[in-house]
This record gives sequence, structure tokens and C-alpha cells, in this order.
Amino acid sequence: MTDGRDSIKKVKKFHHDAVMKYVLLAIASVTVLIIFFIILFILINGVEALGDIGIVKFLTGTSWKPGEGSYGALPLILGSVLVTFGAIMFALPLGLGSAIFISEIAPKRLRSILKPICEVFAGIPSVVYGFFGLIVLVPLLRNIFPDHLLFGTSWLAGSIILGIMALPTIISVSEDAMRAVPMSYREASMAMGATRWETTRKIVVPAAISGIAAATILGIGRAIGETMAVMMVTGNSPIIPEPLWNFFEMLRTITATLALEMPDVVSGSTHYAALFLLALVLMIMVLAINFTAKLIIKRSRRKFGETMSSGSSLNRITNTAKRRPVSFHILMLISVFFITLAIASALLDLFAGFICASFALTVFALVSTVIRRSGSRPTAYMISKRMPKILRSAVLTALFVFAWMVASLFADTSTSVLAAFIVLIVAIVFIPVAKRMGARIREKVAHTSLWLVIVMVVAILIALLYDIVSKGLPALSIDFLFGYPEEGGLSGGIFPAIAGTIQLVFGTMMIAFPLGITSGIYLAEYAKNTRSTKIIREAIDILNGTPSVVFGLFGMAAFVIYLGTGYALIAGCITLAVMVLPVIIRTTEEAVLAVPRELREASLALGASKWETTMKVVIPAAFGGVVTGLILSLGRAAGETAPIMFTAAVVFRSSVSLSLLDPIMALPYHLYFLATEVPGSETMQYGTALVLLIMVLFMFALASVVRYRYSKNIKW
Amino acid sequence: MEVEDFNLWYGDKQALIDVNMPVAKNKITALIGPSGCGKSTLLRCMNRMNDLVDNCKIEGKMTFRGEDIYDKTADVMALRKRIGMIFQKPNPFPMSIRDNITYGPKIHGISKQSELDEIVEQSLVQAALWDEVKDRLGESALSLSGGQQQRLCIARTLSIHPEVILMDEPTSALDPIATAKIEDLAVELQKDYTVVIVTHNMQQAARISDYTGFMYLGKMVEFGVTETIFSSPSEELTERYITGRFG
Repeated sequence: MTDGRDSIKKVKKFHHDAVMKYVLLAIASVTVLIIFFIILFILINGVEALGDIGIVKFLTGTSWKPGEGSYGALPLILGSVLVTFGAIMFALPLGLGSAIFISEIAPKRLRSILKPICEVFAGIPSVVYGFFGLIVLVPLLRNIFPDHLLFGTSWLAGSIILGIMALPTIISVSEDAMRAVPMSYREASMAMGATRWETTRKIVVPAAISGIAAATILGIGRAIGETMAVMMVTGNSPIIPEPLWNFFEMLRTITATLALEMPDVVSGSTHYAALFLLALVLMIMVLAINFTAKLIIKRSRRKFGETMSSGSSLNRITNTAKRRPVSFHILMLISVFFITLAIASALLDLFAGFICASFALTVFALVSTVIRRSGSRPTAYMISKRMPKILRSAVLTALFVFAWMVASLFADTSTSVLAAFIVLIVAIVFIPVAKRMGARIREKVAHTSLWLVIVMVVAILIALLYDIVSKGLPALSIDFLFGYPEEGGLSGGIFPAIAGTIQLVFGTMMIAFPLGITSGIYLAEYAKNTRSTKIIREAIDILNGTPSVVFGLFGMAAFVIYLGTGYALIAGCITLAVMVLPVIIRTTEEAVLAVPRELREASLALGASKWETTMKVVIPAAFGGVVTGLILSLGRAAGETAPIMFTAAVVFRSSVSLSLLDPIMALPYHLYFLATEVPGSETMQYGTALVLLIMVLFMFALASVVRYRYSKNIKW
Repeated sequence: MEVEDFNLWYGDKQALIDVNMPVAKNKITALIGPSGCGKSTLLRCMNRMNDLVDNCKIEGKMTFRGEDIYDKTADVMALRKRIGMIFQKPNPFPMSIRDNITYGPKIHGISKQSELDEIVEQSLVQAALWDEVKDRLGESALSLSGGQQQRLCIARTLSIHPEVILMDEPTSALDPIATAKIEDLAVELQKDYTVVIVTHNMQQAARISDYTGFMYLGKMVEFGVTETIFSSPSEELTERYITGRFG
């Protein structure tokens, strides 16, 4: 200090830096507390049911009749699993085909159209999908299978709608994985005279296989947590299909059970606890699924990191050639389980089927692990040499069983076995024929079928949009937009629902934005990579994967019942805010982390404090990304039904109230109510669906405009 | 092979201007020139790898054994089988060493195990890699060093017995020892194959090639016998480049 200059030890700036750090930490901790509170809340309430019901009875009981005090959740768990399984059977071929088409075949211009179309798919609220399923798909199925479907609502309808909803996830994640395959692989393959299709099939898809597997699993995760759409089209009867693969039967999922029974349940009763236990089961299922996907994605990232860098440091990494069969291995395990289950439950009963299937699974897993671990290269090599043959016979067996299952729904046993044999023989004859075709012809066939797939997928979306727009437009009028519902929803307008949705979105914004943005910034800029940070991230991930109906359950129990607010705007807003928090935190964090270090260093080198750097350099640079995330989260909040249907939304309001403690009407719930409870209100339904669709898609469009403008202005 | 009045545009930008050059059978032809002069582009045209690039337009003629490569009826896959390519960065597939090499033969219809085994050995021997990897053919190709990976890529190309091998700066990502091995290999290969090599490294061109073409801004400035080009070039531009005064 003697020479009159500021000493480098002067602490003024450090001081306010430290203060800001703690302020951020405090706000971030609130978020974390909320997250842990929810998880604990569900855990405690659910575990209570264990004493009353007993875990074995709960998981294996086949009758769910709360009125008579029997809480066997097996039909519900099976319902969720089966409808999801069907959805993936439907969505995987279409999704993978579309992804291959978009990534490998589509000309640049077509790709730039198809990708946004895919995003539109993802933006449509689930209640709109359910509405479309109920009003278009269900009658259609009833006409196609008049002997099998009395009502049309069925497992089949649920799987198709869920499959459509899972498509965007599967397409975009697997397309990303395939585009991440280095161009040099394709070049190397083409340079040897391989056709495009051979390159795709033998190089690109195998190299991207973990990404594709992750995409599928994420799709499953999304489908199993879905509420509104399945509830509207599956018929909701808690029975186990007979036989197990009878996709014409009605069934009921865990999510639908929560949504249907929660509003009428007596707080503190066994039924109440049983619902929480169900929610817990659902969360564990979703968590396990998402965790698997995360593991696979992590592994595939490492793989690509390693393939793109060349050099000898690669030696330590386990080689991919040996590792690849793992995902295939899992597939084998799953198919073994289901095939045994199907056969055994057909011959004996369901319970015995499960035991047999589990037994077969264990034996198969043990044997194959022993073989894989046997380690000695010759053995492993011998097996890998024979793999194609083993694989082919496995596929043929699966095909046979599957054909028989489907046929048995339409005909008696002997006819269906015959039909399955015919399918098998056709397949056996077809394989060598396909092999003998020239590479060029095979490419033609493959590309033509991929074109068909993409046309089909786009046609589904256009059919959905066209149906809603063409039938919704005539309903729109000043009276409709600004009037009140009359005759129980048969006529009049939807003004209170529009106002209610806007109020909900606004309230959600006020709560979620400050918490989410601060937490995101804290995590990106300040949080050290310690164990507690890791736990926070895990908690955010858990919350991110939690199905929306579980949030509804929490909101109802915590606010409506426990705090005694009754159905109120504030309860809905908090519930929605908690639901979108993880999305906001994650996108903020990512946007902030994407700002290059050089910028920060330049600012710090000029003597700015960390807080100043964050506020003046980092946040402005990350602004576009943050805003995009915020708008997307609001779009999602606006379209959600399950979290508000037992916290805030009611069927009818005669005025628009600004009080936080009053219940409100909301567009998604109004649509659900009209579609399921008010026959003859088709025009009103289509009008409501269109208004909701426009609102949500407008927000998504806004988000992409923001993203586009900022990505254009800022380049690094 | 013969290139006649060849022009190429990427969109509006012309990348090759009236290029003429012969490629002599069983000789090594080197293409040199500063970055962005179009030598890699020209090379990639020779087995139509540029077909993969959007909005790329060509004019002129390129013949292989008297046939026009760009004829509408030409079979691109068959062409690429006969004119193979080695890339700048080693790009082995993420498969085992063996599968990398059997990939090509399998695509072109060879399925007998004994035949494939023979091809694997033959190609690796030719690429001077056999002794280093014969005990670990089942291991991932990514476990090899950079130089080994590049030789594996060469073996992979040799597995389908091409007539011409195009090399696009095959040593630019390698260390000097690995580079020397690849150069020896190129000279060795010349007995059975025609080699066209693009290189940044003039000494490399001088060391191994029989003919050299010097390119600048999309034009073939000078083409001739390597010794002549390096000792008494007829163009001033060539002289300035090879003596290191620009480029």
C-alpha cells in the first residue's frame, strides 16, 4: 500500500462475491429441499400401506377392488407393462426407420423439414393425443375388429396412441446417435464399394446401437409414465388380459388408477396409502428405466470419444467388438422371459407362468454369463462366429410364437398353430431369396420401405393436425373464445378455461423461474464437484423422470388435503412449478456451461469478480439458451392435465377469479371433461383442442425462434 | 487412368479448373500443392467419393481403362471396388481387426470362412502388419496405434484387390517412424498396384513417386516425371513452391 496503488490483497470484491455465492446457495437449497421433500413424502406415505396390505399381497394379488378392501396391484402393474410393451412394438420399427431415413437417406432440405415436424409431435399435449385416440382411433378400431372390440377402448388403442407419443423421443435420440457416427466410417465403407444400405446396416447402425437402445428405453420411460392418453383409450378395467397377449382386452395402468381414484379417496385410509404405494412402484419402474438409459448413453459417449480420437492411448479401453453383444444379450434375456411367460401362462396359469419365466430367465442369464466370462478367447470367438446362426434361430422362434399368439386371438388352437407354421415357412423361404438378391436390389427394397415408413409417420401427424384443425376451426368464434360454458359444456364458450390456463402458466412462471434459474446458475458456476453436488444432480434427475401424475398426487396430498387449500390456483401453480423445475435447472445449467471458458477468463483477467463475470459476461452470452428452456417449460406446463386435475382444475366456473385460493378452469382439463363426460359436445371438444394446440405450439414456435436468433448472433 | 479438362464446382465456387493429367499403371503418382489447391478434391473425384457431397457439379472427362468414370451407366460400387482409397486420418471401423478386413470381401460376396481367413492373412502381410497383429485378430482395431491403424486401413483396401489405390495424405496424422513404414509400403505396393498419393510433404513426393503433379488454386500447374519437376521445373511457380519460397 506504500506506493499508493491498491494492494492485490484488497478484499472488497471478494467480499460481495462471497455474499452472492451464499445467496445463490440459499436459493438453490430451497429447490433441493423441495425435491427431497417430494421424494420423502411419497416414500413415507407409500410405505404406510405396506403394513396394512403386505408387500407380497400387493405385488401378486390379482384383484384391485378398493371398495372391498382388496389391493392386488398386479393387474395394474401388468397393465402399465403390457400397454408400454405394445407401444414399443409399434413405435420401434417406425421410429428406427424414420431415424435411419432422416439421418442417412433424406436430402438436406427434406431433413430440415422433418426434424421440426418431429418436434411438433413432441410438443402436442398428452390430453390432445388422448382426445384424438378417443374420437378417431377408437371408432376406427371398432370398425376394423367388430367381433373383438365391443367398445373400441382397449390395450391395442392405448398401445397405438402411446406408440405415437413415444415416436419423437425414439426418432430424435436415435437420429442423433447415428449422426454422431463419424463420416469417415461411411466413407471408408463406401470407398470399398459397399452400397449405401450396406453401409447403414453394417456400419452406421451397429456403431450407433447404444444410442438407439437408449432412445428406445427413454421412449419406454416416457410411455410408462403417461397418464391422460392411456386413461382415455384403454377402457380402465383392472383385469389381467386372458390370454395374457389378448390386446383386444381393456386394461388399466398404474397412472390411470392414480388419476381415477385419487380425487375420491379418504385421506389417511388404506386406499390412500395404497395409491401412494402404487406411485412409488411407478417411480421405481421409471427410475430403473431412465437409469439404464443413462448408463447406456454414458457408455456410448465414451465410445465415440474414443473412436474419434486416434492414437495409442486407446489401448486401455475395453474393445468395442467384444462389448457390443451386451445390448443384444439384454434383448435375448427379455425375449426369453416373455416367450416362456406366454407359453407357461397359456398352459398353466399366470402365476405359474411368472415363476417359470423367472426360472428360465435366471438359467439363461447364468449360462450365458458363464460362457461370456469363460474368458478364453477361442471359446468366445467360436460363439461369436456362430452368433448369426443362433440369432437367426432365435428370431425365427420368436416369429413363430408371436404369429401363433396373434392368430390364437382370431381362431382356435389348431388353426392358429397352422397359421404360425405358414408364417415360419414363408420366413425360412424368404431369407435365402433375400440373400440372393443383388446388393443394389436389396438397397432399393430397403430404401423404398424406409420411404414408406417416413410417409406413414408424417401421415399420422398430418391426420392428427388436419382432423383437429379442420373440425376445430368452425367452432372458433368470438362467443366461443370469450363466452362462458352453457348447458354443461354442450354450448357456449371456453373463456374461463383460457383465462385459467393463462393464470396457471403465469403463476408457474413466477414460482419456477427465480428458483430454477438461480439453481441452474449456481450448479454451473459455483457448485464444486463434490458429493453433495452429485446428490443434488441425482435428485434433479429423479424429479425430471417422475411421471406428471405423481406430481398431481403430491400436490393434492400436500396442499389440497394437508394444508387445506382445497382446489386452488396456488396449489396448481406450485405443483406445475415443481414439475418444470428440473427442466429449467437443467437447461439453464447447460446454456451457462456452453459459454466458452475463454470469455470468463478474459473477464476475470480484467479484474472482474466472479459475480460480475457471471452477470455481465456469462448470462448475456447464455441468454438465448436460458430463455428457450424457460419457454419450453411453460409450453409443457400449459398442456399438462394430470398435475392440475386434482389440485386446481374444476369442471365449471361462472366467473374468472384472480384469487389464488379459488379453483379455476383449464383448457386441458376442460377438454378431458368434455371428451369423457359430455356426449354430443364434439364441436366444443374440437374447438377446445384447437385452442390448446395453438397455445402450446405457439410457445414451442417462439422457443425455436429465440433459439434460432441467438444461435445466429453468437458463434463460438 | 486419364483426366481430361476436368472442372468441379462446390456450389458457386470452382474448385478444379481444366485439370489434365495421366496416371501411369504400376507407378506412383504424387499430387503436391498448398492447402486448398484442390489436390484432395481431384483425388476424391477419381473414385467418385465426391458424389457424397451435396451440390457438387462436375464437367470434363475422367477415364479408367478407357471408360468414362462419370458415365451415367457407370457402376459406382464396382468402380470403388477397383479404385480403393486411404484417408487422411486412419479410420478403422469399431470392430475387430479381422472384421475390418473381411468387411469388404463379405460385401462383395465372399462368405467361405477359409477363403476369408486367407484374405485376412494375405492383406495383412501385404500391408506389413501381419507379424504385429496375428495373435490378436479378434481384438478391436481401435486398440492399435495410429500407424498400425493406417496400415490396417491399407490392408482393408487391399482385401478387395483394387487396381488403383488413392492415398489422401496418408501420413499426415502419423509420426516419422510410422510415416517411413507407410512410405516403404507404398513403394512395395507399386509392383502390383497403381498408386496416386496426395501429400503436403515434398520430400515424400520426391522420395517415393515416379510422377508428380503440382497444383495451385484448382489448376494443374505442372505435371511430369518427379526428378524433372524437382530438379528443373519449367514453371516458375513450381520452382518457387518446391524451393519453399511460398506455400
